[in-house]
Amino acid sequence: MNGGDLLLNCTDMSVLERQRAHLKYLNPSFDSPLAGFFADTSMINGGEMDGFLATAGLNLPMIYGQTTVVGDPRMSISPETTLGTGNFKKRKFDTETKDCNEKKKMVNREEVTEEEEEKSKITELNNGSPKSIKKMKNKAKKEENNCSNDSSKVTKELEKTDYIHVRARRGQATDSHSIAERVRREKISERMKFLQDLVPGCDKITGKAGMLDEIINYVQSLQRQIEFLSMKLAVVNPRPDFDMDDIFAKEVVSTPMTVVPSPEMVHSGYSHEMVNSGYSNEMVNSGYHHFNPMQQVETSSDPLSYFNNGQPPSMWHSDVQNLYGSLGV
Amino acid sequence: MERQIINKKKRVFSLEPNKNPSAVFTRKYTSHLVPALKKLNMNKNSSKQTVKHEVDMALALSAQEFAWSRFLLQKLSSSTNPTTTTSSSDGIQILERSDKEGGNEEGEIEEKLRELQTLLPGGEEMNVEEMLSEIGNYIKCLELQTIALKSIVQDST
Repeated sequence: MNGGDLLLNCTDMSVLERQRAHLKYLNPSFDSPLAGFFADTSMINGGEMDGFLATAGLNLPMIYGQTTVVGDPRMSISPETTLGTGNFKKRKFDTETKDCNEKKKMVNREEVTEEEEEKSKITELNNGSPKSIKKMKNKAKKEENNCSNDSSKVTKELEKTDYIHVRARRGQATDSHSIAERVRREKISERMKFLQDLVPGCDKITGKAGMLDEIINYVQSLQRQIEFLSMKLAVVNPRPDFDMDDIFAKEVVSTPMTVVPSPEMVHSGYSHEMVNSGYSNEMVNSGYHHFNPMQQVETSSDPLSYFNNGQPPSMWHSDVQNLYGSLGV
Repeated sequence: MERQIINKKKRVFSLEPNKNPSAVFTRKYTSHLVPALKKLNMNKNSSKQTVKHEVDMALALSAQEFAWSRFLLQKLSSSTNPTTTTSSSDGIQILERSDKEGGNEEGEIEEKLRELQTLLPGGEEMNVEEMLSEIGNYIKCLELQTIALKSIVQDST
């Protein structure tokens, strides 16, 4: 890539050479993809580059003053954009850029990271129009992301590695740690949204902390309820004739509001796990009937009401429909 | 007698028995719990602890596709007095939370996530994302469990 070579008599050369060597190592026939890649970036960054350079001030010509290809400023930017690992956000001072300019006149630089930092300083200090810079940075990040993640459309041959291809967003850091962190955070937010649907009363709350509070409260209250019920069960339990059959048939008819999971009981009737087939139509009826009043009655903060108002109505409704269908009612 | 005839005549079946996971869970749960309670009845020493033990055991056995149920089973089998709920420490937890209100938000969230982890059986061993998904189905199973327990209690009274 002659154009690229020409302007790379400044310190960029070492970095780009390194990159090329690396890519060469990865893929013997890298040259054309890489050339294409850079051309691509130049195309993309064309508009902004001009704007950027126009407002770049004096620093940039000094830096790239050695280059003979001033007329192709896009190319000069592209190596820069491929470098930098999230250092764009660092704010440096003027004095450091002067040092950097002097250093730039050296041909061979040893430190890659220092270079990147200085370039980032340059980009930030030469901020004529922040928006264009940001866009440039954004796209730079994208390219850099692509480069670092081997996911640019041109270098697809290098995509044998298992990177998670994350597109950097505006104003976000792009080193691998931040990306991983961001992915993790996104996963967590996704799960939190799911929990929001699950826990009653959570949809009004925005913010992770409040929602987590709600979830914690809800789980604790459920656990306490279960404990209380099991205590009650321990008290109530000593009944030698604890027979599901009698209980359901007797209790349900008299007190229609009791047995909530009666549709399931009916289901289990034929599964001969515990309850034999003695479940009557009355139970189904009462189960169905009480189900609706329960929705209206239990409007307190009892989790049971939430449960009824939430998913189960639709779910049990279909079940009960099935039951009635089979009954021929 | 007549009731029996009626029962036999009007037995009902669901057309899709195993499609509904809540129904499946509840059925499994009650099928574990009720015989266990019966057995406890026979022994006539149904203390609070053993009932709670059976309750938790039924929960763990009915939800075996979830990670937390494994941990719960481990806990139950290892200790004789399992405490999946720590009601005594609930007050302390609430106090802690209110103290940290002025703190860093990110730290708060971390704190709450850790608290959730303590609530979930085996939560400490999981990482946060896994824990959050497990908490979802744990909540669901807890809800179903409360319903089943309520119905059982009401039936026996």
